[in-house]
Amino acid sequence: MLPEKRLLTPDDMKLWEESPTRAHFTKFIIDLAESVKGHENSQYKEPISESINSMMNLLSQIKDITQKHPVIKDADSSRFGKVEFRDFYDEVSRNSRKILRSEFPSLTDEQLEQLSIYLDESWGNKRRIDYGSGHELNFMCLLYGLYSYGIFNLSNDSTNLVLKVFIEYLKIMRILETKYWLEPAGSHGVWGLDDYHFLPFLFGAFQLTTHKHLKPISIHNNELVEMFAHRYLYFGCIAFINKVKSSASLRWHSPMLDDISGVKTWSKVAEGMIKMYKAEVLSKLPIMQHFYFSEFLPCPDGVSPPRGHIHDGTDKDDECNFEGHVHTTWGDCCGIKLPSAIAATEMNKKHHKPIPFD
Amino acid sequence: MMDLDKIIASLRDGKHIPEETVFRLCLNSQELLMNEGNVTQVDTPVTICGDIHGQLHDLLTLFEKSGGVEKTRYIFLGDFVDRGFYSLESFLLLLCYKLRYPDRITLIRGNHETRQITKVYGFYDEVVRKYGNSNVWRYCCEVFDYLSLGAIINNSIFCVHGGLSPDMTTVDEIRTIDRKQEVPHEGAMCDLLWSDPEDVDTWSLSPRGAGFLFGKREVDQFLEKNNVELIARAHQLVMEGYKEMFDGGLVTVWSAPNYCYRCGNVAAVLKIDDDLNREYTIFEAVQAQNEVGNAIIPTKKSQMDYFL
Repeated sequence: MLPEKRLLTPDDMKLWEESPTRAHFTKFIIDLAESVKGHENSQYKEPISESINSMMNLLSQIKDITQKHPVIKDADSSRFGKVEFRDFYDEVSRNSRKILRSEFPSLTDEQLEQLSIYLDESWGNKRRIDYGSGHELNFMCLLYGLYSYGIFNLSNDSTNLVLKVFIEYLKIMRILETKYWLEPAGSHGVWGLDDYHFLPFLFGAFQLTTHKHLKPISIHNNELVEMFAHRYLYFGCIAFINKVKSSASLRWHSPMLDDISGVKTWSKVAEGMIKMYKAEVLSKLPIMQHFYFSEFLPCPDGVSPPRGHIHDGTDKDDECNFEGHVHTTWGDCCGIKLPSAIAATEMNKKHHKPIPFD
Repeated sequence: MMDLDKIIASLRDGKHIPEETVFRLCLNSQELLMNEGNVTQVDTPVTICGDIHGQLHDLLTLFEKSGGVEKTRYIFLGDFVDRGFYSLESFLLLLCYKLRYPDRITLIRGNHETRQITKVYGFYDEVVRKYGNSNVWRYCCEVFDYLSLGAIINNSIFCVHGGLSPDMTTVDEIRTIDRKQEVPHEGAMCDLLWSDPEDVDTWSLSPRGAGFLFGKREVDQFLEKNNVELIARAHQLVMEGYKEMFDGGLVTVWSAPNYCYRCGNVAAVLKIDDDLNREYTIFEAVQAQNEVGNAIIPTKKSQMDYFL
């Protein structure tokens, strides 16, 4: 049985929220976060284990694929996601099982089959050319799956799963976001944290919990942000936002981050990020209706039967006209095109604003 | 009797409106809107406005640049809420103007004027942040269900948020829809709010997942069958503020400059005079500082529950 999307209704969500699967997965995220308390990005654990190196090699292969598909069509005219992202996606999808096998030879064929869908869906939606916290979640499910299958040992690998693996994943995503102008999936506009990611803020807050001098309010100091962008995930995200948004300040375009900067301690921010992730990602039907259940993420009993199609990389995946598909929660499913800030920034560089006329 | 002028002044300043006041505004608006048809009849001269998306200060700029509601008639094509800082104040301001000048403001429903969409794309979050509960969001959603689906100007220009539907070829058919409901996921009412024009030969599946893509043939058929000369719609960001298509038979008007405070676009409104001439007014986003140097930022409200 291949991984399947199962969550369709608010009742399904209740079953999911009370399930051991969600509890175990949440604990996995929290364990990773706890493991980077007080760590800078460069303070990963050494020696780096073989399994972490294998995962880094896997990500290196993905990164190589990003170099193979330059933007050609509509390079200067389209404000929306570049269609060449689909070529990248297709190549990852065609090769994902092979890549996993080459890096983790001990995995069985069935295990590869279970894992590969999460690898495919870690980079964005092929049809909509967008990316959001649901795709980030898929990547964490991939790591969780590898942990479930005995590849990662959390007592040894958890710090490096964040400081090596997740950071490399984030670097690759920034390449994809910047290169293909990926649209934000399910954007809350100014009422979200970021256009694309959630977990760098969560892991980043944990990194900072023991810091003696940096405070949550420090994100408003541009010099500090630049100084610490490469040392702490949270400041790296702030630097990225400052770079791609055209408006005056965080207060203007990112009120949630501004609000959080008023919290007194990073411990409180870290604690709040866990609560927020549970509520805004793991408990939101628009995101969770795209969640894949699998052998290592078993679906709770009583949840709606699987939808008729299995992920097979065809264009019909995520079609919204499938019988039984939730249409009352359009949100993330029926994507509303929103040009990314990256696209807007690039367009501004290329064209002068027309002179207003009255 | 409510002092609308006082409430309007507070809204223009982005000040907090008590929940009880919002409740009464919404109730009175429902009573007013329920008497309007699915397709409202509007006379020239009139100014057509596109998406607003909660950008209150840009909405104020729009009024300033286009004559103001005291002297000018307006049609707003929907999507008043979501994404911006001030969805609530923007929507309530338009409702107040509707109550104050009923014949000068026409409000058409956009695809964002629904419970499902506002729950995800910001309006719900904004209300919960500003009031600590979602009552005000619920009151506004009730009003959404009463908004018209379209408007017709001098029987010659058809206005709608998104576009056309294969299920409706005439304006009279649109008048038969039972509109007082949440926007359904398919069918004519959905299509009117979700469809987009595109260079396609016939009706095509929309990548949005709702509505259709329609092309010149569909537009020309609609114009001819209904004896109108223009379809004015919004729904899609246009970096230049407006975009005419299909030999001027259709126009997209976009009225949220620097959309989401970062897209860098200009915005437009379209004035139609008594001879049906078109005049586009372009405007830019309000600066991040007002004239006395204060940042135009919502006043501090209680922190999100997660971080207490």
